[in-house]
Amino acid sequence: MSNSSFRRNGLPESGAPLAHFVSDRPFDPNEAEGRVDAMAEATQRQLMWWQFKRHRVALISLVFLAVVYAGILICEFLSPYQQDTRNLDHIYAPPQRVHLFNDGAFVGPFVYGRTMTLDMETMRRNYTDDPAKVEKLRFFCRGDDYNFWGLIPGNLHLVCPAEDGEFFLLGTDRLGRDVLSRIIYGARISLTIGILGVTMSFVLGIVIGGIAGYRGGWFDAVIQRVIEVLQSIPSIPLWMALAAIIPVTWSPIFVYVCITVILGMLDWTGLARAVRSKLLALREEDYVLAARLMGAGSARIIGKHMIPGFMSHLIASATLTIPGMILGETALSFLGIGLRPPITSWGILLTEARSVNIIALYPWLMLPVVPVILVILAFNFLGDGLRDAADPYK
Amino acid sequence: MIRRRQVIAGAAAGLFLPLVARAESPILNPAVVKGDLPPEAARLPKNPRVINVAGMGRKTGHQGGRLTTIVGGQRDIRIIPIYSYSRLMCYGPDLALRPDILAACDVEEERIYTFHLREGHRWSDGTPFTAEDFRYAWEDVINNKDFYKGGPPVDLISHGQVATFEIIDEITVRYSFVAPMPDFLPKVAAPLPLVLFMPAGYLKQFHLRYTDEAVLQKRAEEEDVDDWRRLHLKMSRSIRPENPELPTLEAWRPRTAPPAEQFIFERNPYFHRVDETGTQLPYLDQVALNVASSEVIMAKTATGESDLQAISLGFHDYTFLKKAEKTHPLKVALWRKSQGSAVTLLPNLNCVDPVWQGLFRDVRMRRAMSVAIKREEINKALFFGLGRESADTVLPESPLFKPEYASAWAQYDPDLANQLLDELGLNVRGPGDIRRLQDGRQAGIVVESAGENPLETDVLELVRDHFREVGLALYIRTSQRDVFRSRALAGQVQMSVWSGLDNGVPTADMSPEEIAPSTGDQLQWPLWGSWHAAAGSTGEAPKLPEVLELLRLLQLWGDSAEQSERAEVWGRMLTIWADQVFSIGTVNGALQPVVRSARLQNVPEDALFGFEPLSFFGAYLPDTFFFEEA
Repeated sequence: MSNSSFRRNGLPESGAPLAHFVSDRPFDPNEAEGRVDAMAEATQRQLMWWQFKRHRVALISLVFLAVVYAGILICEFLSPYQQDTRNLDHIYAPPQRVHLFNDGAFVGPFVYGRTMTLDMETMRRNYTDDPAKVEKLRFFCRGDDYNFWGLIPGNLHLVCPAEDGEFFLLGTDRLGRDVLSRIIYGARISLTIGILGVTMSFVLGIVIGGIAGYRGGWFDAVIQRVIEVLQSIPSIPLWMALAAIIPVTWSPIFVYVCITVILGMLDWTGLARAVRSKLLALREEDYVLAARLMGAGSARIIGKHMIPGFMSHLIASATLTIPGMILGETALSFLGIGLRPPITSWGILLTEARSVNIIALYPWLMLPVVPVILVILAFNFLGDGLRDAADPYK
Repeated sequence: MIRRRQVIAGAAAGLFLPLVARAESPILNPAVVKGDLPPEAARLPKNPRVINVAGMGRKTGHQGGRLTTIVGGQRDIRIIPIYSYSRLMCYGPDLALRPDILAACDVEEERIYTFHLREGHRWSDGTPFTAEDFRYAWEDVINNKDFYKGGPPVDLISHGQVATFEIIDEITVRYSFVAPMPDFLPKVAAPLPLVLFMPAGYLKQFHLRYTDEAVLQKRAEEEDVDDWRRLHLKMSRSIRPENPELPTLEAWRPRTAPPAEQFIFERNPYFHRVDETGTQLPYLDQVALNVASSEVIMAKTATGESDLQAISLGFHDYTFLKKAEKTHPLKVALWRKSQGSAVTLLPNLNCVDPVWQGLFRDVRMRRAMSVAIKREEINKALFFGLGRESADTVLPESPLFKPEYASAWAQYDPDLANQLLDELGLNVRGPGDIRRLQDGRQAGIVVESAGENPLETDVLELVRDHFREVGLALYIRTSQRDVFRSRALAGQVQMSVWSGLDNGVPTADMSPEEIAPSTGDQLQWPLWGSWHAAAGSTGEAPKLPEVLELLRLLQLWGDSAEQSERAEVWGRMLTIWADQVFSIGTVNGALQPVVRSARLQNVPEDALFGFEPLSFFGAYLPDTFFFEEA
């Protein structure tokens, strides 16, 4: 090959300027792919968050649940009354409307005072608003005394009725107890029972499913059969049977713990299965093989390589289990075999509202279904969002 | 209607011409026409009990119609003999005893009782009702060791001696006791009566003395029972009329054997009562008993599915029922309950905890708890202010009532309560301003309830706060009836909640056994009660002098042959009862909604409602209720 043949290829003479522009900036081969770079280097958590953010409803649900769970920490402060404060002059009082304007003038949030009359014909209490009595609500005020978390005495409330007035935003029950306050206190029990129950089933699921999946063999076979049996039993009758075993003489708080345990004990099966199948799949992955070839021990392989692989998935499925727990508690308490007064949960509140009387005459006592529905929906959306986010590469 | 009457008159004229004076009940017509059943006049006793319906301020009615009512379970079939309430003697709304099945009853010295039956009285199957039926019950059942291993029931024993029974003639029998037995007739007139007669003609086929053992064995197997005793028991059970074959003297006889969702009772064609115009009672041809879950009974009643309902309805249902009155053809009335108190706290004087036992046995403790309760609040909150704030005692409707019984230690006086509790040595206060017991424990009382009545829980919530104000903590523990009963008997219950005196309207002639330790069912002294009931073989002997005095007075009442003396004994017992506060009453005279079909006539608008002694509707003669033609 001669030099002339090079020239024929269109290259200039050696040392002559090129016929087109060449940038003299340093060359970076990844510059055009900058976004990909971030994704490649992002942690699993960041990836999930980006993916999760796209699911708008899940994001809203997360915020809602965060607010609600924060609320149960301070329910003494949030509720206008104590959960057991009775007001015998306001039995079965319907919800009060909050007004802002009186006679066209702005006065801020207030309620009208009410007068109660007894209808001796139907034995019903009738409440009528008295427009002359404008009872302005107070905020960050001193009201019913309480023991914060059962320990610290206090009396600060977010909102209180006017001095000598009453404020029943959601009405009162048969002993004149404020429904709103009872719902707020009930949330503390109902929502924690979901979390505690799931924690319990989470631990059981990971341990039992983990051993079954990693060890395999006869243990796996036995566990699988046990799970099949447990899953084939209809849940409500089984709960009923287990709840019926709880001695009637136990204190309510102990019953609460027991119900949690019962709910958790019956719920681990799905999780155990998921853990087991994930482990079985991950065990065969190339990176696990690579780790093993590099001499990593079992603990390191499970902890460092496998758990991150299925944890996100587990969180998602656990989130979807919580509403089941909450509904389980509500159902058990509603049937009268779950929690017992004086413990107040949403299920208890609904039990008190199940007679025909209430539905026909005092429908506001059924309001605790609203938070139940909202929380369940929020958990379901959140779980949905998490499940999408759990596998961000998809 | 007119057409049918003509048919009867025409068809029956040839056979029973002189007897057919009135129209027969529609459901009996065909049988009479066919000749399967004698006509009405031939079925009635010679001297039927004549109920002066108009004299009671009611309307005379006509035969026919089916009344439907709802019960909570199949076992509640027993409500019909209670409603129907045919007894040898019976109570009326005036709480006085009168002969019912009997034509007359002669009483000598309160110990010799001579029963005169009605001539020509027949069982519902048409066989004559005679002294033989009493003999059978007496010789072959009551005094038969096969049925009563330990001898006849205590109600027939006076001073250790069983009554003697004589047959004077075909329709006269006599029971004699060695000493006065004033409780004999009240027991016979009770809603669940002492059974002294049985349909001998029918039951002999199940009795070993009259029937071959092999035959009995075969029948027992067919009926799925162990032996002939159980067979006899099953076939002869009259308080739960599950055997449609069993002849009865009640107004309605069962036509359905369990299991069933609906039980039909049909008029007893041989019933012994007539109204003043000569129409045989009951007016109602049929009673249908529908079984439903007790939780839906109220809703079903409100939609007009029951023609007469009080069971499973509470005062809190009244508003709803009253609202239903506008849309459905029903009427709601409010009766007063005859219990001594709607909700009562019963401190257990036999509780095993020595400290609490000592406290509860001290009258100051019981009085302090009683005056710490704000009865007005309970009445306002739960009874719409319509109950009567009272101790657990007899009602003003009872002839024995005195205002001081109701007001004794029933005032609201927290200062007095505090003072009494301080005197008891409970003057050290711990956290939450709750008093401490002598041994340093918190003065917290665990109240147990059977958990059947939501009213009890509501009352306890209020009482809990009242007690806290005087430094006593109250814990509410809900259990189940059987668990609760056995725990109470074992002394493990500190305090119980129950309804007050069953019979809040006693007369001097009714036994005061409820206000003295007489049975193990009494939750304030279960051990003392069972000691008395078992004549000292179980339980433990009472120790408190006041309780011993009550027992002595009870004995005095039982030995008394004079009504004035019995009234005096009652008075002394009620005074001790009121002063000692053995049961802590709250509110009595609570209202009971009674729902009836708008067409159903003769149901009182305002009356007392209770089991003992009124048999719910029984004392108001449901056989005189009838449906007005629409």
